[in-house]
Amino acid sequence: MNDFFASLYELFGIAPFYSSDMGDHLRGWDITCSDFIATPWYTYIGLIMIGITLFVYMLQYHIIDRSDWSKRRHWWMFALLAVLLNFSIAFTIPYNAVQAGEYCNQLIIGFSDCMGFAFSNALWSFLLFLIITTIPVFRQFSVNCSHTTFWKP
Amino acid sequence: MARLYLFAIGGTGARVLKSLTFLLAAGVKPGGRNTYEIVPVIIDPHKSNEDLKRTERLLEDYEAITKAAGVDNGFFGTRITTLKNLVSTDGRLTGSSFTCNLQQVAGKKFREYIDFSSLEPPTRALADILFSGKTINKRHDEVDLLDIEMDIGFVGNPNIGSVVLNQFKDSEEFKEIASNFNADDRIFIISSIFGGTGAAGFPIILKNIRDAMSNAAIDGKGFLQNAKIGALTVLPYFNVEKDADSPIQKSDFIAKTKAALYYYKDNVTGNQSVNTMYYIADTFSGKPYKNDPGDNGQKNSAHFIELASALAIIDFLKIPDAELETVEGSARRPVYKEFSILNDAAEITFGDFEDYTSQLIGFPLSQFALFRKYVNEQLDQSVEKEPWSLDKPLVDRQFLDDSFFRTHLSGFLSSWDDWLKEMAENRRAFAPFNTGAGLDVLVKGKTVKTGWFTPKVNYPYYNGCLNKMAKGQKYPDAEQKLLRLFFNTTAQMLTSRFGFK
Repeated sequence: MNDFFASLYELFGIAPFYSSDMGDHLRGWDITCSDFIATPWYTYIGLIMIGITLFVYMLQYHIIDRSDWSKRRHWWMFALLAVLLNFSIAFTIPYNAVQAGEYCNQLIIGFSDCMGFAFSNALWSFLLFLIITTIPVFRQFSVNCSHTTFWKP
Repeated sequence: MARLYLFAIGGTGARVLKSLTFLLAAGVKPGGRNTYEIVPVIIDPHKSNEDLKRTERLLEDYEAITKAAGVDNGFFGTRITTLKNLVSTDGRLTGSSFTCNLQQVAGKKFREYIDFSSLEPPTRALADILFSGKTINKRHDEVDLLDIEMDIGFVGNPNIGSVVLNQFKDSEEFKEIASNFNADDRIFIISSIFGGTGAAGFPIILKNIRDAMSNAAIDGKGFLQNAKIGALTVLPYFNVEKDADSPIQKSDFIAKTKAALYYYKDNVTGNQSVNTMYYIADTFSGKPYKNDPGDNGQKNSAHFIELASALAIIDFLKIPDAELETVEGSARRPVYKEFSILNDAAEITFGDFEDYTSQLIGFPLSQFALFRKYVNEQLDQSVEKEPWSLDKPLVDRQFLDDSFFRTHLSGFLSSWDDWLKEMAENRRAFAPFNTGAGLDVLVKGKTVKTGWFTPKVNYPYYNGCLNKMAKGQKYPDAEQKLLRLFFNTTAQMLTSRFGFK
């Protein structure tokens, strides 16, 4: 699963969003710099990203599900919420690790790598939200948002 | 399906018919277990009468709406059809859709109509006595009664009206009604008693129906002679401005009513010609109408009494057949009815009705008012945005541009606005709705409760109810969808939030 998420993030992650050292850290390169046995952050953050995006989708389409929250502009608001949450999480987790020195000291990881990964996570979150809400099969169960997508109504 | 042949005579007849049309549009169902098709026959020689023209337009819109959407949608739930539609042979009926085509009297003096100069001297002398007296013509000149020009009606002269309207028995319309009339069908006659056309027309039409056996020119005599007949006679209920030059004087209303009632005592009720007779009146001295004998088009504001009168027709159709038995043209158990309200209020709301009336019309009229309000204030913003509009069949911009909506439904709803406004401004007023206020205070006397878990009744809530109601429903076309969806949604909103039972 780690490889799956790694391939997703690195699809546009290795260059230019963040360095390969950051990629190794997220794969779970351990603090002793010996093997990929540390926390597999790609998997965790990827699953959190999916969970948050699905929750935001559920929030708009099935929990709130109100006529006055069903327009295109509301879709963009909820998409922004998903993006911001996922950006924050994807930034905070590696950044805290870097600040605490909890990574292999042979890796060179900076602030811009954390930002790049956060951006990558936010982008995937946006794409996932876009896909879930564009395919009618999911949103058709919503009462008030069954036609709500990024371009209409 | 059984039919109700509904004769609406004169200006009052047209206005009562208008009220009935709005009740039927709102979903009030005439008839108990039976359903009826309504066949209005408007009888008024005053072709330029604005009340008549407004009612005709309304009926045409109603008919067009039901033709497109059918009658299974709650709103517009009763078919109204023209006599022409029942006739198999084209071209036999030449009048307008709902109006009986009496021989044209426009531009003709009564003297010419009866061919006074060709009458034998004794007959002429009799006519001179019967039609003596003075009246005014449309130019407000004083003229002999015989010289009255009848294109503005009979100007409160039933003696003239009775002669002219007697041509009804020879009309193609009467022949067609007779040949189409079945045992289950019913007849209802609406007239006023204090004017010219209604007071004269009612006994004549009634007599011609009951005497059908002696009319050689018609078929279906037996059914017609023993038809179940209801009649409504509207006694004075409005005030007119004082005008010394006008032949219409309020002071004459009571005298004319007494004279007509005296005549009815022997020739209508006395001989048991009617199965159920409804009398309605209001002594409330309200806002006077413009004193218009007819030359300015006679456009009177809608009045609550006309709505109450329309309820007589609904009531008549609920009476079981067994109670309307007629033998050889005579009703076995004639019944006479009146109508009352609970409170003698100058401005009536649903709370001023007895429970039965309140239940009968309060709920459907409120449904229609909610529907109207949405169409007026919200539809344009919701179309092609809300799921109920976007789910197939589409209620989209193209639908709004089609004649069903743009011409007929919009026209009908605009007339509804006028009708409510006129009744609300009249005295006594009927003003059950705060039409200009928010949705939650639309129905006077009904409070919408809101709280933490009960949302406000506003348009987002309304849209939510529409979306929920439309979810998973199949509609054959957009016309039926619009009417049925709003009927069901407004019913749900009124019961769940407005405290209707």
